[in-house]
Amino acid sequence: MGTRALGIVALIAVAAASANALFVVPPDAVQGDAQRIMYVHVPSAWLAYLSFGVTALAGIGYLWKRDLRLDGIAVAGAEVGVMFTAFAIWGGMMWGRPVWGVFWQWEDPRLTTTALLLALYLGYLLFRRLTDDPHRRAARAAVVGIVAAVDIPIVHFSVEWWRGLHQGPTFGSPDKLLHPTAPGLFVLALVSMVVAFTIAWTWLMIRRYQLARIEWQIEEHGRLGRLSAARRAGRASAPPPADGAPERA
Amino acid sequence: MHDLGFIIAGYGVILGGVTLYAALLLRRLAAARRASLQVRRDAEPPGPLAPDREA
Amino acid sequence: MSALRADAAVALQIARKDALSELRGRQIAGSTLFFATLVLLLFGFALGPDPRRLADAAPGLLWLAIVFGSLLIVARLHQLETEDGALEELARYPIERHAIYLGKLLAGLAAVIVLGGVLLPVVAVLYAIPVVAAWPALAATLLLGAIGLAAVGTFYAGVTVRMQAREVMLPLLMLPVVAPLLLAAVKATTAALGGNPLGDLAAWLQLLVVFDAVMIAAGAATYGHLLEE
Repeated sequence: MGTRALGIVALIAVAAASANALFVVPPDAVQGDAQRIMYVHVPSAWLAYLSFGVTALAGIGYLWKRDLRLDGIAVAGAEVGVMFTAFAIWGGMMWGRPVWGVFWQWEDPRLTTTALLLALYLGYLLFRRLTDDPHRRAARAAVVGIVAAVDIPIVHFSVEWWRGLHQGPTFGSPDKLLHPTAPGLFVLALVSMVVAFTIAWTWLMIRRYQLARIEWQIEEHGRLGRLSAARRAGRASAPPPADGAPERA
Repeated sequence: MHDLGFIIAGYGVILGGVTLYAALLLRRLAAARRASLQVRRDAEPPGPLAPDREA
Repeated sequence: MSALRADAAVALQIARKDALSELRGRQIAGSTLFFATLVLLLFGFALGPDPRRLADAAPGLLWLAIVFGSLLIVARLHQLETEDGALEELARYPIERHAIYLGKLLAGLAAVIVLGGVLLPVVAVLYAIPVVAAWPALAATLLLGAIGLAAVGTFYAGVTVRMQAREVMLPLLMLPVVAPLLLAAVKATTAALGGNPLGDLAAWLQLLVVFDAVMIAAGAATYGHLLEE
C-alpha cells in the first residue's frame, strides 16, 4: 500500500514539474523554447544510467549471494533502463534538431554513448529470454551485465576523444544546461524534474521487481508441477526426465 | 512558442511513454497474480479418483 | 609465484591444443579468411569506384572485416569444445577458470592476428593505400586491436556457447561492446597511414591498451561463473 501512495506522489510530482517546465519557466536566451526539452531529456538520461548501475550491481550481488531476488532487481533495472535510455535518445534528438540543425551528432558523447547503452541492454534483455533455468539465467545475465557496464565509461571516453580531435565547428552540448551560472529558475526546474522522475522510477522499479518475483514463482511451480506429473507417469512406465534438461530454442 | 512540434514530440513521447509503461506494468502484474493463483491450484495433488494430468 | 606459472602453463596448453585443431581442420582459418576477403570485396562494390573515397574509408573497412572475421573465429573455437562436451570436461579439472579463459583467448588472438596480417595486403591492393612505410605502427594497432577482440570475443562465445540462438546472440552482444575498440583502431590506423599528422596515434593506442586491460580483467574474472553450470 505504501507503493500505491508512492505512485500517486510520483504522478503528481511529474505533472507539476512538467507543467512548470513547459509553461512557467522562461525560454532560454540562446536556445529559445527548445531548451525545455532538456527538462525531460536530462532526467531520462540520469535514470538510464542509474538503472543500469543498479542492474550491474545487482548482478554482482547475485553472483556473490545467489539470491534470486537480486536477479529480480537486475531485470527490473534493465527493463526500466531500456525505456529511459530510449527516451533519453529521443529527447536528445528532439533537442538536437532545433538547436544543432540535425537530429544526430556522432561526436556528442552523450548521444552516442546512450545509443550504445541501448544496444547493450536490449541485448541483455533478449539474452535473458533464451535461458529457462532461473539460476543459470541469473548468473549468465549478471556476467553479461557486468561486462556491459564496464564498457560504458570506455565508450564515453573514446567518443569524447573523437570529438576533441575533430576540426569542425563546435556544437552545443546538452551539458550546457548544467553550467553553474545558469539562472536559478532553470536549475530549479531541472532539479524538480529530476526528483519527480526519480520518484516515478522508484515506483516503476518496485512494481517491476514484484512482477519478476511472481514470474519466477510461477516458473518454480511450473517446474515442480512437471516433475511431479512425470513422476506419477514414471511410476506407471518410463523413468522421469533428468533434471537440468537442455535449454529450449 | 517556437519549435512547438519538437517540444510536443519530446514531452509527448517521454511522458506518454512512461505512463503507458506504468499502465502495462500494472496489467502484467495483475495477470501474473492471477496466473500464480491458478498454478498453485493446479499444483495440488489430484484426488484419489482423478486421472493423471499432462503437465 | 608458482601458482601463476601453473596457470600460464595451463593457458598455453589450451591455446596449443586449440591452435593445433585449427591447423589440422583448417576450418576456422580458411573459411574465415575467405569470408573477410569477400566482405572487403563487397565494400568495394558498395563504396567504389572512386579510389579516393575507398582510400579514405580503407581503415574503417579493414577493421570492420577484422571484427566480422573475429566473430566467426571465436564462435568456432568454442564450438570445438561443445562438440565433445569437452568444455565440461575441462571445467572438472582442478585448474583455475581464468586459465581456461586465457588459453582460449590466446588461440583466438593468434587467429585474429593471422587474419589481420592477411587482410592488410588485401586492403593495400584493393583500396590502394600505402602500408609498407607505416608497418610498425600498423603492426602495433593490429596487435592491440586483436587482443581486445580476442578478449571480448572469447568471453561472449563462452556466454553463448550452449544457446540455441547463438549465431545471432554472439554478434548482437559483442558488437556494441567493441565499438570503442573499432573507433580507436580505425583512428590509429588512419593516423599511422597518414604519417600521424594530428599526433593522435599514441592517444588512440593508449585507449586500445586500456580497453584490452579492462576487458581481459573482466573476462577472466567472470568466465568462471559461466562454467559453473
